[in-house]
Amino acid sequence: MQLLEKLQVLADSAKYDVSCSSSGSNRANKKGQVGNAAIAGICHSWADDGRCISLLKVLFSNCCIYDCKYCVNRITNDIKRASFTPDELCALTIEFYRRNYIEGLFLSSAVIKSPDYTMELMIETLRKLRNEHKFNGYIHIKSIPGADLNLIYQAGLLADRMSINIELPSVQGLKLLAPQKKHESIIKPMSYVKEQIQGANELTIYKKKQLFVPAGQTTQLIVGATKDSDLTILDLTQSLYKNFKLKRVYYSAYVPVNADTNLPAITTSPPLLREHRIYQADWLLRFYGFTARELLDEGHSNFDTRVDPKCDWALRNLDKFPVEINKAPLEMLMRVPGIGYKMAEKIVRARRVAPLSYEDLKRMRVVLKRARYFITCKGMYYGGIDIDTEDLYPILSEVKTSKGIPGQISMLDVRS
Amino acid sequence: MIYVTDGTFEGILTAVFEAYRNREEPRSIVTEKCFQTTLDSNIRIIETNQEKSDRVYNAIVDKMSYEVLEQIYKAWLSEYHDVGTAIYKFIKIGLKIGKKVISFIQNPDVQKLNDLSMKVSKEVHLFTGILRFNKLKNGIYYARIEPDNNIVMLIADHFADRLSDQPWIIHDAKRDFSALFDTNQVVYTSEKITIPADYKDDREFEMLWKKYFKAIAIESRINPKLQRSFMPVRYWGNLTEKQ
Repeated sequence: MQLLEKLQVLADSAKYDVSCSSSGSNRANKKGQVGNAAIAGICHSWADDGRCISLLKVLFSNCCIYDCKYCVNRITNDIKRASFTPDELCALTIEFYRRNYIEGLFLSSAVIKSPDYTMELMIETLRKLRNEHKFNGYIHIKSIPGADLNLIYQAGLLADRMSINIELPSVQGLKLLAPQKKHESIIKPMSYVKEQIQGANELTIYKKKQLFVPAGQTTQLIVGATKDSDLTILDLTQSLYKNFKLKRVYYSAYVPVNADTNLPAITTSPPLLREHRIYQADWLLRFYGFTARELLDEGHSNFDTRVDPKCDWALRNLDKFPVEINKAPLEMLMRVPGIGYKMAEKIVRARRVAPLSYEDLKRMRVVLKRARYFITCKGMYYGGIDIDTEDLYPILSEVKTSKGIPGQISMLDVRS
Repeated sequence: MIYVTDGTFEGILTAVFEAYRNREEPRSIVTEKCFQTTLDSNIRIIETNQEKSDRVYNAIVDKMSYEVLEQIYKAWLSEYHDVGTAIYKFIKIGLKIGKKVISFIQNPDVQKLNDLSMKVSKEVHLFTGILRFNKLKNGIYYARIEPDNNIVMLIADHFADRLSDQPWIIHDAKRDFSALFDTNQVVYTSEKITIPADYKDDREFEMLWKKYFKAIAIESRINPKLQRSFMPVRYWGNLTEKQ
């Protein structure tokens, strides 16, 4: 098979993995070598679906021995199969990189023969890139569930970021849809990698710097392939950030690629709005100091479709508002619907120079459409209606605009 | 009073110096190019003077900060038609309140300068991603760009660091201003550069890249509006995957 066709097949098979980021690493370049990593990450293009292209995201191979029901590459699917050789993949990565098409390589794979065999081929590719081609650009490697921990260790020494996809948010879901994958085979390497990262950081203190996945590890959860609630997903997310120190959890609205009685019908469209709400909540966990149980609980286990999670929270906590824009601590400003963490920081800096009026906020382009109901400026309230009335919900609900459903509005999560 | 400068960064700083020395408050600081002769006799022609410019330059660093200076310089690179006035008004506030001027964004003059420098920073970041090199027959990698702002000098270091073992040219075709890199150092030139169409030697990898670009999009999520919001159509002319 020609390289052109292989690339087509193996990019096509990799595209459902949503993580694209190239951030978190600052691997430096050396004289006579090629590439470095930019700590904030760089997007190089945006595909026709609006998702950013940062890394060359391909599978090493899509010849899979597994039969996971949600996956396009399952063994029982009649699709075109292909595998790269390590050299082909190196050439693609290096030549694309030299033309500034990409930030580096994102390498995943279907399971060829066995997890170990697959992992070895992937490591060989990385080793050639780093040692023969002197490549210092970004590499994200997906570790294969069930691979030997020693192989995971070797991969971690070569890659900037490692991830292992949980995919299904609950053990029951995994049993139902991916019976050949064991929950344990996902969790064990994740905690192993966490320990290795910590170990490398401690070593760095008194020894020569040893890089072990400097950009940390991430995972992906599929939204909407199983009946799991948003609460189940968010609880899991929170524990992954807390216990496994993950850098990111990605969410992928399930795109039906196979027909199966245990799966949503093949005609179901991907739940983009739900994915969007979960991403919003994920940001609230990581940057806004919220906990999962503040946003959802058993009596309220799925996000409201019409208001965003922060707004939803504020409406259930009206006794905490309004807050005075000139006095409220940063953490509270960030909890005001419509005020993001960057704007909250700007407000805190600006009010140190001079107190802020409502007009000042407008000039600073604070989005007041929602925020005005939750703040006072120099003691004055500009919401116009009583804050504890039930009139607030309809006012704050997202109106459908020509932009289409909110799930399609540009998301903040395209980078970092 | 209107001050007329040659439009260079030093020219604008010289004008700021003159305003303070003459105890005048010029209504605007414009460039010769933009200036249309009016019957208004209230104009002062400013001759660019390195020493005077340096005085203002140092005052910015001393009384504000190096970070503020960078912001002013970035704003200048936006080539906004009234950037001279914007810089003057910003410096005036900065000399009064010091380095915290950078946070004082409730003030419209500070906001204006902030917007200009932010616009430049954003485009710099975008071009570290969407700039495309074509390999030429002589082995040099050539990138043609047409950015809104004058950013060649702000992106050259990034590529000198990253692609340090390959010779390259970054050519701003709008301004005919280029950065040349020979694997050792970057030099800048305003000479016109034309690359004959048959001098490119890159069909194979261009085709592979285009194929990849098509294959990576998920059909059921196609969203051209979202794509264009990140990657405006005006940049597509130099984008390999959009040819």
